[in-house]
Amino acid sequence: MSLASSGSSLPRRTGLFDMLRPGARAAFMTLAVSAVLLLFLAPIIILVVTSLRPGWGVYYIYRGTEFTLANYVEVFQRGVVIEAFFNSFLVATAATVLSLGVTVTSGYMLSRFKGWLPKTWFTSIYVFRTVPYISWVLPLYVVNESLGLYDTFFGILAAHVAVHVCFFSWIMKGFFDGIDPSMEYAAMIDGCTRWGAFRRVALPAAGPAIAALGILSWLWTWNEFLFALILTGNRTPLLTVTMAQFVTELGTEWNLMSAMAVMAMIPAVIITLFAQKYVIQGLRI
Amino acid sequence: MIGERLSFQIGLILPSVLVLLLFQVVPIFIGTDASFRRWSLYDPDKTWVGLEHYRYVLSDTNFLFTVLPNTFLLIVASVGLSLALGMAVALLLHRGIAAQRLVQTVVLLPLMIGPVIASTMMRWTFNDQFGVVNAFLGWLGLGQPAWLADRWYAFGVIVFTDVWIWTPWFALLLLAGLKSLPKEPFEAAALDAAGRWRIFTHITVPMLRPVIGVCVVIRAIDCFRTFDQVWLLTGGGPARSTEVFSIYVFMEAFQNLNFARGSAAAVIGTLIIMVAGLALYALINRFMDVSR
Repeated sequence: MSLASSGSSLPRRTGLFDMLRPGARAAFMTLAVSAVLLLFLAPIIILVVTSLRPGWGVYYIYRGTEFTLANYVEVFQRGVVIEAFFNSFLVATAATVLSLGVTVTSGYMLSRFKGWLPKTWFTSIYVFRTVPYISWVLPLYVVNESLGLYDTFFGILAAHVAVHVCFFSWIMKGFFDGIDPSMEYAAMIDGCTRWGAFRRVALPAAGPAIAALGILSWLWTWNEFLFALILTGNRTPLLTVTMAQFVTELGTEWNLMSAMAVMAMIPAVIITLFAQKYVIQGLRI
Repeated sequence: MIGERLSFQIGLILPSVLVLLLFQVVPIFIGTDASFRRWSLYDPDKTWVGLEHYRYVLSDTNFLFTVLPNTFLLIVASVGLSLALGMAVALLLHRGIAAQRLVQTVVLLPLMIGPVIASTMMRWTFNDQFGVVNAFLGWLGLGQPAWLADRWYAFGVIVFTDVWIWTPWFALLLLAGLKSLPKEPFEAAALDAAGRWRIFTHITVPMLRPVIGVCVVIRAIDCFRTFDQVWLLTGGGPARSTEVFSIYVFMEAFQNLNFARGSAAAVIGTLIIMVAGLALYALINRFMDVSR
């Protein structure tokens, strides 16, 4: 076997990287790491700096040293901005609670049962996850319009819960697959009903994973744009659409737009810094 | 009578099924129905016109020769580049580098801040007059293109933004994949004095194939419906030259105010991605079987 013949007599096939001396290797690694950091951080830094520049200084953000918080003050003086943040917060929170509530049982069913019904449901989820959002949100707009739900809280909430049904059921199945069902059987032998076994045994065990998915769900809804653009108007402003509207006849008000973008980014930054473990767990597919 | 077991199963999925039916399946039926009718204010009867809208869309040169090629080009470019870059970042993080946690945090950020903020900042960064990219190019003495006013430059910025957002996703999933690989094959290869590149191409990639396959399929299907990045960066312009599928549907329905034609385009797009998605899935499945 090849293992047995492996001796020092074999020439080591070397790449460019191996030919470098250790010092040069370390330098190469530092360079690679710096490049990654620069690529992912630079646009964010540019945005933050722009948001701190006065209106007249925004066009040459790399020149000049005047910094101000006036943009933030000005953004908040617009009533619609506060309203948009409030609405987005409300929609994100409600959509997360509802979509987790609706899909946790569905994922449990997919994980614990075999037969025609789970098979059919799983196939449906698979097919409907493929449908492009615009293909059902466009007619949903007409439906909402005729039901008087256009530009209402409920109208946008329904779309957000619906979009999560397929994906979350699938992810939740994975969560429950990772939990040994024997505890539930034991609970049922001890007199628990099926529902009781689900609620008292399986649900607490999946708790951390569900929380991780909840964090991501909240952020996705907070960041969502297409549904907000199609299903809401002036009565229910949401932050992503409001942010895209800092465009006047004179051009885009970049300093104000950046200030709002930085504030809209805060939840994402906080979550990345303090709940990274959960985020990474929730992103598993 | 349905058994206690079956009724429990039905009870578990009932809320999800209802939400899916009411807010996705019913709208899809309504949209499909509308795509066969004339849908305008001066025709309250919504006259049945058969395949008229489909004929229009499928003979629209814009749809056939700009929108569809753009959509698939975006998928290939974005998925390919984010996979390559994501793999590089995953390998870097897997090696164990200094400032590991800092790098991981920074890499996670684009995914978390979402496409709207990302596209906003990219549009500013690539602004032709005041953007930092052009300032930097000017400082180097290079040309300063009007990024978003030229079709291929604008398309490049869209791809770059999409890669920026999705590289972290590939990196995280590939890193998880790398961490779960057994160590023995790598030790054996090291004993055999294999070079780094050979280890990568002959051991790492084949063993990661299932993860790579799943990532590529999911991302490719999701990429087909891209809307936010294109809408916020170029709005489909200049002169509708960077439109992708979702933008085309949106423009037909809300700019040209032809809901029925937009619906026809939506149905066509849905059928395309379903067939493409199934084919992709079958291809990847086969590819992975061969590698095993």
